[in-house]
Amino acid sequence: MAESLHKESKVIEDISAKFKIAGKVQRERRVWVTIDKDNLIMLCNFAKGLGFEHLSAISVTDWPEEGTFELTYHLWSYSERILLTIKTKIDRANPVADSVVPVWQENAQIHERELHELFGVEFEGNKDLTPLFLEDWNGPPPFQKDFDWKEYVRQQCYDQANERERAYYD
Amino acid sequence: MVEQATKMKRLINAIWIFNWFNSCGFTELIPLVGSRWDMERFGMIITGTPRHADVLFIAGYQTLKSIRRAQVIYEQMPDPKAVIALGACTMSGGMYWDSYNTVKRLTDYIPVNIYIPGCPPRPEAVFEACMKIFHHVGAVPPHGKKFAKAHKG
Amino acid sequence: MTKQMNEKELITIEHIEPIIPEDTDYNFYFGPAHSGSGNFGVKLRIDGERVTSARADPGYLHRGFEKLMEYRVPMQNAVLSDRVCVLEALNWNLVHAEAVDELTGVEVPQRARYIRVLMAELSRLQSHLIWYGAMSLGIGFDTGFKIAFGYRDYILDLFELITGGRVYPAGYICPGGVRRDLPGGAEDKIKRALDQTEEMMQKVKDFDNIVFSRRTKGVGILRTEDAIRLGATGPVLRACGMGTDVRKDDPYEIYNELDFDIPVRREGDAYARYLIMGSEMEESIKIIKQVLERLPEGKVREPAKITPPSRVKIPEGEVYVRNELARGEGCAYMRSVGEGAPYRVKLRGPDLLHMIPVLEYLLKGSQIADIPAIYWSLNICPADMDR
Repeated sequence: MAESLHKESKVIEDISAKFKIAGKVQRERRVWVTIDKDNLIMLCNFAKGLGFEHLSAISVTDWPEEGTFELTYHLWSYSERILLTIKTKIDRANPVADSVVPVWQENAQIHERELHELFGVEFEGNKDLTPLFLEDWNGPPPFQKDFDWKEYVRQQCYDQANERERAYYD
Repeated sequence: MVEQATKMKRLINAIWIFNWFNSCGFTELIPLVGSRWDMERFGMIITGTPRHADVLFIAGYQTLKSIRRAQVIYEQMPDPKAVIALGACTMSGGMYWDSYNTVKRLTDYIPVNIYIPGCPPRPEAVFEACMKIFHHVGAVPPHGKKFAKAHKG
Repeated sequence: MTKQMNEKELITIEHIEPIIPEDTDYNFYFGPAHSGSGNFGVKLRIDGERVTSARADPGYLHRGFEKLMEYRVPMQNAVLSDRVCVLEALNWNLVHAEAVDELTGVEVPQRARYIRVLMAELSRLQSHLIWYGAMSLGIGFDTGFKIAFGYRDYILDLFELITGGRVYPAGYICPGGVRRDLPGGAEDKIKRALDQTEEMMQKVKDFDNIVFSRRTKGVGILRTEDAIRLGATGPVLRACGMGTDVRKDDPYEIYNELDFDIPVRREGDAYARYLIMGSEMEESIKIIKQVLERLPEGKVREPAKITPPSRVKIPEGEVYVRNELARGEGCAYMRSVGEGAPYRVKLRGPDLLHMIPVLEYLLKGSQIADIPAIYWSLNICPADMDR
């Protein structure tokens, strides 16, 4: 089925002609590309020009031992029917990334607002990073790996003296 | 106390429920309103304002944001009133027992009269709970009970 | 003294100036306890009868699913995945099961694939019935609400027969296939339920022009380029002229072997979305009938024996699966490092985009009386947005 992966390989060729990337075709309709964070915005603009006009999701993965946050941008092209994923890494101690709102507008803005609240990543260029889901939350960004939910819930909500709830402390 | 119970026995032939259908219990309370499990034949209707309601259904898990609104609604309901808590999440945290944002012990925030187990409970279980409210009105808490944890604003 | 007081009164009354209100701006909170809104609030700024701006207030149902899934193994996550959106539990089950299947590389048996598509389409049918009922209620057509929820119960009885639960199927579509086979006599009961749904659609067709078209034509118009920019997917995007559906563009399970159409309309208003809902229900019935004809024999889960949770390991890798839910595009990004529980799960539902950017854009400039028609025509689910 080599001819059916022709479109996907062409996407990687077009991008590697202009940028330094590490790319692979996982299966049909799935292309994964890793790039340095300084070239992220230029690659996003280029990808939009290639036809990737729908931003499906933005996600953040927390790697505490490495000390990085990995950002993944999942883009879908309606005309070519290919999903392109762009991965990049930023520093965990100072998590600042360029916002892709100039490229995909309101769609990107809402995803970045959610990730700012849950992971603590600062997106430069996004004008509205007010909290989305939580009201009066003073703790650390909840989805980071070092915030242990089971410990937190045992301290806040459950009572070890209560016989019914002792099971949660084992 | 006895006087209040007698008064309530005379008044309660029908219970009016406030329309605070939240979370998962919503999908099992709406068929109750519908034509198959018709609750109007038992005298139960849905009202749009807490001032007309007798019963508040806490129909599932509550988060910290929504429990504050539920407390305001509870305070606005006139006496005598009852709270029915649906689902496993109200009893012990349920499936989200290790989530940072849900309420595990509902009685810290609102006094509860009846718990209905299930995830979500069947409509027949909800009717049985409502029948118990009709028959055991003496168990409804007296006026003026304070909350253990007060809400803010 | 009386004469003096009378004079004083006259003087005071003559000098009172009438107050003419010039300020007709006010804030209106269409909030969670309002009968028309579900668990979601919108802060509206209204001037007279027109909405000048809208700001969504989400978060009443936030439980943190993505991190809850990091503490559980895939079979346990399958039970948790029903509860992402309560109105279409089996479709989210399918998204999660496909993600784990792709990571483990298991070959799902053909019979299981057909049963998965059958359950997903039944779930889409009952979700559209809820859409019809909620939209009728918002418009003021109470009979439609009662009819829709009455007929929906036949499909819930089917779910109870096959999976064990009316609303939550307890992870019926699990990684590796489905939990158990269809019981004897299920196929006849499914055909009977489809006949009853068609009967309901026939009944409500007569009400189309009278009730719905007058209240929803020309209301909440969305153009194609705005829809793509705001991130709309699914029926909302198909009502704007864009003929795209994940089942055709990015096929999963056995959709590429089935014969069905994608309804598309050009107007982009609430009435177009309503008509697409009706056509999609007909297409789903067509798909289910084809699946029942072609259902092959065989196993329904690979591997048949379930590994105990302490010994489960997912191979290392990352995947992104896309499915067509009743509301739009539902996706899952799963990353594993070789342990029992996934390292990171990101669930992307259609409602985060429909309820915040699209709703704020559509409500701005509309009349107060049109708010329910716009709100319910987008077919929103707050649980999917907050996760």
